[in-house]
Amino acid sequence: MATPSNYAWRRDKDGLGVWEHRGKVAVAGLGHSPVDRRWDGVSMDKTLGAYSILACQKAMDEAGVTAAQIDGVICCDSHIAGPSGGSASRWAPRPYFAPPYDSEYGLTLVNAEWLIKTMGLTNVKFAPTKVPTIGEMVGMAAQAVGDGVCTTCLVIYPCGNLEGRYRRGGENADDYARGARQWTVPWGNHGGNDFINTFPHNQYCLKYGGKHDDLAPFVINQQRNGMLTPWGFNATHGIEPITVEDYCSSRFILNPLRLWDCDRPVNASTAYLFTSADRAKDMRQKPVYVLNHSQHNFKQPSTQADLDVIEMWTDRAAKRMYEGAGLGPKDVDIFNPYDGYSVMTQFYLEAFQWHGVKRGDAFAFYADDIRVEGPHPFSSSGGNLGNGRTRSAMYTDSIEQLRGTAGKRQVTVRAETALAAFTTPPNGGWIMFGKHPS
Amino acid sequence: MAKLISFDIDGTLETGDPPGYITMALVRKARDLGYIIGSCSDRTVSHQQRMWMEHDISVAFTVLKHQLEQVKSEFDAEHYYHIGDTNIDRYYAERSGFAYLYPDPSIDHLWIPS
Repeated sequence: MATPSNYAWRRDKDGLGVWEHRGKVAVAGLGHSPVDRRWDGVSMDKTLGAYSILACQKAMDEAGVTAAQIDGVICCDSHIAGPSGGSASRWAPRPYFAPPYDSEYGLTLVNAEWLIKTMGLTNVKFAPTKVPTIGEMVGMAAQAVGDGVCTTCLVIYPCGNLEGRYRRGGENADDYARGARQWTVPWGNHGGNDFINTFPHNQYCLKYGGKHDDLAPFVINQQRNGMLTPWGFNATHGIEPITVEDYCSSRFILNPLRLWDCDRPVNASTAYLFTSADRAKDMRQKPVYVLNHSQHNFKQPSTQADLDVIEMWTDRAAKRMYEGAGLGPKDVDIFNPYDGYSVMTQFYLEAFQWHGVKRGDAFAFYADDIRVEGPHPFSSSGGNLGNGRTRSAMYTDSIEQLRGTAGKRQVTVRAETALAAFTTPPNGGWIMFGKHPS
Repeated sequence: MAKLISFDIDGTLETGDPPGYITMALVRKARDLGYIIGSCSDRTVSHQQRMWMEHDISVAFTVLKHQLEQVKSEFDAEHYYHIGDTNIDRYYAERSGFAYLYPDPSIDHLWIPS
């Protein structure tokens, strides 16, 4: 069953106060598929659909929940490869396979309807369509459980990647920047980096001092944390550590953005199981409570957000999150902001003032001890840079840190609250987790 | 004067991710035919050097992809070829004065003794 998305679940305004369901919703399970670079077009146990089912099953098994108990399925049904993915994002015109792989669903896309049918989830009563990306869908799940729309909800984030590279087809392959693209991608497609990240990042360096390559300690640490993450791409594919020299000599993707500043597109799926705090107490895992969720879709004042705008946006996002959680910067133990491009992460770090980092302090903070063993275990997940573009490492690590099951990544500082996100400065969402409900 | 072949790794060599058309046997054969050979990849230089060492192949150069022009300045050759599977390979090859070649059977002629 699919449900129209007219449910008002977002917390995307300033001044909403403490979240009404604070501590009453919990994450009780998580599951990751293997993280591959691409699908080989042959192995039906490695399709995006098979990987999504596997991730769901792992999340359910971890929580000790049966298929019959699932009454909510929130699955991101858009394509990470985007409409300009070309043959990397669409299987057709290649022939489809036997059901359930007789359409794009299960191969390049996964949605709730396909999962419910394929997994035999017969008791689902909430399965919205047009679900946003993981940065917001975790908030949607938290709100739905808190509101009683469903009680035991799978949240699935499929990241399909047929060929290892994507977004290189369609209009992105055009030699011309036609129509509105003359204003947004005049020099070709750079994943939005020129207008979202690179210009404000250059402004940042000018305003506060420092240079781009001051990001090296952060990027290298992300790679290291990724190697400490057993399910991630780095750890499962023998990716080697990089040095400062490797970083600083790597190719510019979009000057000054270097190769190692960019995450690696992968073929993988992640699932989480959200339920009420009361139900979670009787499940297999130690509950990790949701203390708040918030979203933001800030209006662009022009085609180009400058540093002032980015700082204003991220300040507002931080204020919303802290207000809803009833917490402040000093209360956050684990901080896993988004790092899909390394140049954006400093904006979040400084907005949320984690470990006292203020505007302009990020490069000096990166140069300090940010290892998981140290006093400032920043982005202990390794993020996308360390694990591949699953966009879920930030959530998984936060949950595992609070459970005390992060293994070699387990921090040595207090781990009772965790903040995680998949977001760009203008769009996305944050979620605050707690080891305790209050 | 010798000819020079620069090999991309991922999508080009059999050891790449994804594996490419060029086997290590073909690389050895190129060396035996007298080509100056080496790699030019976004893989770190240390990775490239380790890869060649593991396959017991001695190469003349290991450079990052955007440093291909260094190879041209360091080696005198009759012809310069870069074999790679992406538009980025083509871009840097052409910018550096190399003939760009895609790794498929269309380049088998390189291995025919002249």
